Amino acid sequence: MSEVPQNAGYMMAAYIVTAVILLAYAVSLYRRTSKP
Amino acid sequence: MSLVQKGRWITLVALVCLGAVYVRALAFTPVERLQGPAQKIFYLHVPAALWTEAAMVLVGLAGIFYLFLKDPRLDRFAEASAEVGTVFATIVLTTGPIWGKPIWGTWWTWDARLTSTLFLFFLYVGYLLVRGAVRDPGLRARYAAVLGICGMCLVPFIHLSVFLFRTLHPQPIILKPSAPSLPNSMLATWLLSLAAFTLLYVGFVTQRYALSLARAAQQGRSSEAGHV
Repeated sequence: MSEVPQNAGYMMAAYIVTAVILLAYAVSLYRRTSKP
Repeated sequence: MSLVQKGRWITLVALVCLGAVYVRALAFTPVERLQGPAQKIFYLHVPAALWTEAAMVLVGLAGIFYLFLKDPRLDRFAEASAEVGTVFATIVLTTGPIWGKPIWGTWWTWDARLTSTLFLFFLYVGYLLVRGAVRDPGLRARYAAVLGICGMCLVPFIHLSVFLFRTLHPQPIILKPSAPSLPNSMLATWLLSLAAFTLLYVGFVTQRYALSLARAAQQGRSSEAGHV
């Protein structure tokens, strides 16, 4: 029986990149809409 | 409550939902035996890809209606949807190669699905550049509408490219004529993620629309002051 591949690092990288992109855009929108 | 505040609240709820997706996907959803933990990128990559495509379809539809009705609200919505679509396309084009490397052995391959998705990203960027480059609001909205309609026409090709061409990219396992080929626990995580991305789209677009509205009002006041 084959072993499960050990590639959790790629998974973590993808989850971190997604969080960074979404949070950066959320902050960008917040800052732009807060300007008087 | 103003439109900006509504958008912020929706975004906040969406980010909390996305946090719940992270916890569920990473800690409570089983690991796929053949691909290993990297398969869990699926829970972010596919909902982001669906909303990348849906956002461009909405940009195109708003463009068609704008050309007939000349309603500036449609143009503002298209602008907001295009900006959010660009953000989601960025997620797709970064998570895809990260998933592809351990599974295909390469970060990128010039096959039909990947290349057409990259082309969609460039269309999004081009759309935003055109909007930034043209000063006249009427002309800008017309150019943008035409570009948005072109982008919308690309979306069915992207979706069907895995059937039309021989590609490394897998065929759909959820959005297909037969039942989804996923265990229920994985399907539930994916549906939760899709709901979170849907809320994110709505929250982001609401805020971006409110920003366009505020800018238009500001421009109106400036031009009025210029006439006095």
